[in-house]
Amino acid sequence: MKILRTIAATAALLAAMSLTALAAPKSIKVATDATWPPMEMVDANKQIVGYDIDFLNAVAKEAGLAVQFKNTAWDGIFAGLDSGQYDAIISSVTITKERKAKYDFTDPYTSIGQILVVPKTDKTSKTIADLKGKKVGSQIGTTGAMEVKKVSGVESKTYDEIGLAFEDMAAGRIYGVVCDEPVAAHFALQKKEYKEKFKIVGKPFTKEGYGIVVKKGNQELVTLLNKGIQAVKAKKLDTRIHTRWVK
Amino acid sequence: MPDNKSTHTPIAVGDGAAIPHKSDVGLFTAWRIAFFGSIVLCLFLAFGRPDQYMAIFMFVPDGIWVTFKVTLGAILLAIVFGLIAGLGRISGNRFINGTASLYVEVIRGIPLLVQLFYIYYALGRFIKIPDILSAIIAMAFCYGAYMAEIFRAGIQSIPKGQMEAALSLGMSRRQAMRQVILPQAFKVVLPPIGNEFIALLKDSSLVSILAVSDLLRRGREYASETFNYFETYTVIALIYLIMTLFFSKLISIMEERLNEGR
Repeated sequence: MKILRTIAATAALLAAMSLTALAAPKSIKVATDATWPPMEMVDANKQIVGYDIDFLNAVAKEAGLAVQFKNTAWDGIFAGLDSGQYDAIISSVTITKERKAKYDFTDPYTSIGQILVVPKTDKTSKTIADLKGKKVGSQIGTTGAMEVKKVSGVESKTYDEIGLAFEDMAAGRIYGVVCDEPVAAHFALQKKEYKEKFKIVGKPFTKEGYGIVVKKGNQELVTLLNKGIQAVKAKKLDTRIHTRWVK
Repeated sequence: MPDNKSTHTPIAVGDGAAIPHKSDVGLFTAWRIAFFGSIVLCLFLAFGRPDQYMAIFMFVPDGIWVTFKVTLGAILLAIVFGLIAGLGRISGNRFINGTASLYVEVIRGIPLLVQLFYIYYALGRFIKIPDILSAIIAMAFCYGAYMAEIFRAGIQSIPKGQMEAALSLGMSRRQAMRQVILPQAFKVVLPPIGNEFIALLKDSSLVSILAVSDLLRRGREYASETFNYFETYTVIALIYLIMTLFFSKLISIMEERLNEGR
């Protein structure tokens, strides 16, 4: 009997605790592939940091949400959303027609474009098409990879992480890397090992908007997040976050 | 390990898929069900549900070819590495023996995935090797260490009397090794090498992390753009299964032929 009473007491306590949990801000789990500096990355203290992280934290504050980030490999990040391992993705995800068919997006929160990075020794290439017959790298399943595949005659090589593509270009195995412009700037202009070796050519050649991804039909979360995004933009918090991370 | 045994006991290394043997009725049927079942399933998916699956089958063939190239290249190179290191392991020369043993110990102590990253990215800073070739070298370097142990055990399974007889006939040690011991040892090591081949075929999927466009990478590329994860990995698994079962069978036929000639 005593045991039964203890169990009952514990159950009551747990119920009380979950009630208070309900009163607290709604908690959501958000996946991010923290290999995409400066948008999302892991810092020296093993913390996930970056533009997207600050941005979503600001949005969550406005929308009354509590966010828990989960570092997830890009390849399969959408599959994890399908299987309900997290509620949303913020990972520099460009809103595309194909993705929109399968997932729901918030309003775009920032706009970027794809850009080409080549070794400094390459004096002639201006676009991907100039690299015909050569290998060009990008991260698997990104809009950058799709842009490379569009150009016939160029051999597309996809990497699990964009950093590995830059490392492979440093080793001379590929002749160009295509990725989001802020990421290209981070690797080609700021990273010590690469500054001397690589250069960005031309201007961004696509116009893309990043959105936060949720499971198809989760209209409630989309509305909440959109409200948060609007509030953040109205308070111009996003420009502050932008200057903090994107140089 | 049949180190000092004086019989031709085959070495059991349980690494690869079970290779069907005629005497083993249950396994033989299991092989048949799995092999023909997966082929039928592939055909059914490709032609029965063409809108979901046909595109996947059209997307991955060059990946199958790369997987095959990596596996075949790596196993051939691993046999060379393994034979050299295996002979080194039984060498009386202390330096050679020490070097070969060190190679085996170090390589067997590092996960294949780490070795792949290491040879591809770390060494890539110093020497330029094309991607598929460096994948082959990395795989072969790792498997060579395991192969060395197979060769060593295989050579040591040949009765000592054979070497003594060859020497007493006036052969040099080298001649005796080449003409008497190794031909017999090859028969003994063939089943475990077959196992290693199958294991290597499966492990070759690891090279997809090096951005080598093998079967798994092609599948991942397809899935990451269409989000058809279930369909894609079903196809990838089936193709790997058909490949490993096909090669297991081929190896078991080769073994039977060799045994007949004995």
